[in-house]
Amino acid sequence: MAQIETFYDVMRRQGITRRSFMKYCSLTAAALGLGPSFVPKIAHAMETKPRTPVIWVHGLECTCCSESFIRSAHPLAKDVVLSMISLDYDDTLMAAAGHAAEAAFEETIQKYHGNYILAVEGNPPLNEDGMFCITGGKPFVEKLKHAAEGAKAIISWGACASYGCVQAASPNPTRATPVHKVILDKPIIKVPGCPPIAEVMTGVITYMLTFDRLPELDRQGRPAMFYSQRIHDKCYRRPHFDAGQFVEAWDDEYAKKGYCLYKMGCKGPTTYNACSTVRWNEGVSFPIQSGHGCIGCSEDGFWDQGSFYDRLTNIKQFGVEANADKVGMAAAGVVGGAVAVHAAVSALKRAQKKTQDKVEG
Amino acid sequence: MTELLVGPFNRVEGDLEIRLTLAEGQVAAAQVNSPLFRGFEAMLLGKDPRDALTLTPRICGICSISQSIAAARALGAAWGVAPSPQGQRVAALIHAVENLCDHITHFNLFFMPDFARPVYAGRSWHGRAVQRFTAMEGGAQRAAVSARAQILHIVGLLAGKWPHTLAVQPGGVTKAPTERDRLRILVSLRAFRRYLEEVVLGARVEDFAALADVPALMCWDRGDAGLFLEIAADLNLAGLGPSQGRYLSFGAYPLEEGPAWAGGLWQGGAAPFDAGRIREDLSHAWMLGAAAHPAQGETRPDEEMRDAAYSWCKAPRYDGQVFEVGALPRQVVAGHPLARVLAALPGGGGVLGRVAGRLLEMALTQLLLEDLAQAIDPRERFMLQAEPTREGEGAGLVEAARGALGHWLRIERGRIANYQIIAPTTWNFSPRDAEGTPGAVEAALVGAPVGPGEDTPIAVQHIVRSFDPCMVCTVH
Repeated sequence: MAQIETFYDVMRRQGITRRSFMKYCSLTAAALGLGPSFVPKIAHAMETKPRTPVIWVHGLECTCCSESFIRSAHPLAKDVVLSMISLDYDDTLMAAAGHAAEAAFEETIQKYHGNYILAVEGNPPLNEDGMFCITGGKPFVEKLKHAAEGAKAIISWGACASYGCVQAASPNPTRATPVHKVILDKPIIKVPGCPPIAEVMTGVITYMLTFDRLPELDRQGRPAMFYSQRIHDKCYRRPHFDAGQFVEAWDDEYAKKGYCLYKMGCKGPTTYNACSTVRWNEGVSFPIQSGHGCIGCSEDGFWDQGSFYDRLTNIKQFGVEANADKVGMAAAGVVGGAVAVHAAVSALKRAQKKTQDKVEG
Repeated sequence: MTELLVGPFNRVEGDLEIRLTLAEGQVAAAQVNSPLFRGFEAMLLGKDPRDALTLTPRICGICSISQSIAAARALGAAWGVAPSPQGQRVAALIHAVENLCDHITHFNLFFMPDFARPVYAGRSWHGRAVQRFTAMEGGAQRAAVSARAQILHIVGLLAGKWPHTLAVQPGGVTKAPTERDRLRILVSLRAFRRYLEEVVLGARVEDFAALADVPALMCWDRGDAGLFLEIAADLNLAGLGPSQGRYLSFGAYPLEEGPAWAGGLWQGGAAPFDAGRIREDLSHAWMLGAAAHPAQGETRPDEEMRDAAYSWCKAPRYDGQVFEVGALPRQVVAGHPLARVLAALPGGGGVLGRVAGRLLEMALTQLLLEDLAQAIDPRERFMLQAEPTREGEGAGLVEAARGALGHWLRIERGRIANYQIIAPTTWNFSPRDAEGTPGAVEAALVGAPVGPGEDTPIAVQHIVRSFDPCMVCTVH
């Protein structure tokens, strides 16, 4: 394999100063929850390791993941990450078009075979031989399989690639299928959310590029550092939940007081994500802070669990029709139990959902 | 006569393929195909009508607030509910921020990088274009991405997150901003004004917004706008990709005192608009059924992909005619003097007209945003209680960055019985209709020069991107 330049070379070439580089290493360590002693290790890794090439492909999707990604908080992190991965191939952002783009795609695959990370945004629809998503004259599923073959790992960006997302909503007209049901022989890391938080995206990719391995994953294949806690655990409205103080209707006096949105259908108690800690749009806010409940967009099947405005206890699969909304304190226990049930049910459901498991190109 | 298949297109939102018939170094005919279909309208059937507020924004990660507001208005119309005046104002504010960001993204990340291509080496401006707009590296792009992230704080603050916000409801918005929020919004807007004035326009926003004739526009030599206009003059972009001269706008940002930019039709003069005269023609789309108004329409994919058709995109027509939508059409209909004189050029100023229309709207939107934010009154109500009805019918017609967006909804027994969407790019990138009349882009491509050996003709790239296609919206 040809000699590939290091991350540090790339950054310097992009005009990033040594000082900014060190600052970036500290930021990365902090973002990943690592101590200061990791800073020199990260710096050393970036100075000596060959850059990991990234191929970013888009299937059936809405591009919200890219939109989120290019809006990451620290301008420095975003600049560095963008220049670092330099996205050897990206449908949406790259310069080349048409046949030149296809050639660049092929060349990147050949040149870095076995050594690149494949980032997938969107997913392949499998119905009708994949005709619902055609790129470069071929079904996207073929392009995906082709690109995956030489990848050392795959990142499934967002709910589409991870789980199917709304385009897989009943009756799933195109049989939109998550990546892990199509690619069975590669390590896949899921970064769900619709879209995922920008800082989570840059954090995950930085970790993989810096340490050349997958971060620790939870049972569902999500990076534990960002998906190990429920929105509810760190929600700033949690005290109102515990005190049994709920919003009863949009813009009632309780809404103005910032009471808990549980009765308005908030899915925070069963959703694992970093929204209530990292927040959105550079830490400005998150949906609950804007007065609307969480819809659980980082959980499998969030799009087909009944109305988004149903209270959690109304969701049949939880098997707890209990009146949690009547007694605030009791609700805490009930919902806690429901989470465990939910996890088990999702696992079962996924096993049954074979319909969603095919490939397209 | 030779045929050329151009695609996939990069730097457009979603997938796009164009089949060109060439003769004598020119495009003789074009067929536009949107090769991506997801079937949102089928998914919505039978669901709780309120779920449209969460599902439809996910049609598109770039203009999700437009989808969200169209859904909220359609629901409101079906339930007989209107938003509170202040709720409407906040919805307009976050919508305008998104539309402004779309224009910024299009100009810097999607449209301008084509001028940094080697094919233009030797032109007097090429070096500057490379420096400013090389894909993913140019100085203008970094500035745009940062400025965009910064102004989206406003959406974060008012709507919790972007993309895919949840805050807009039929009765208003879920977030009641405080006085402190209002000040933070004004601070964000001031920072964005600085970006526009220092980087994009190179002068006061008011000065650009006040341009009223084409010579004054072409003399504008400051900022990245000036670089574009210099390039446009050198390459005669005004003569490339002509418009058919029929423009449509649903009217943008409804407020208590009326829409900020009035809607209607323009065909050399203002004409009355009646949404009831819209039909979606399916003759060249892989869709089953007859041509119909969206309120009666349906979306059933033709899995046979019959030979007579060539796209998943339906062909919307008004009174049987092709209309163009977007920033220029919106400003032409609303009556901005510069937009009107651009539209009066042969072919509506083609690529120049469309891109200048967007630059103009950047300036106008900044001014509008400042007014909207100033007038937020934290003491007022931002949401009215809305009682869902079990039966009802309604439409939500809004203006997305790329033009007219409509949602048509029917509720029966408390469930969605029909839901049809016409997105802006559906209008512009439509295939031929039963009469054989090509869509707006198909017509604009005719006559585009194709050099020997060009397999992705640069002129075709400019024309297609001048429409700022959003293919994921087109076929949803």
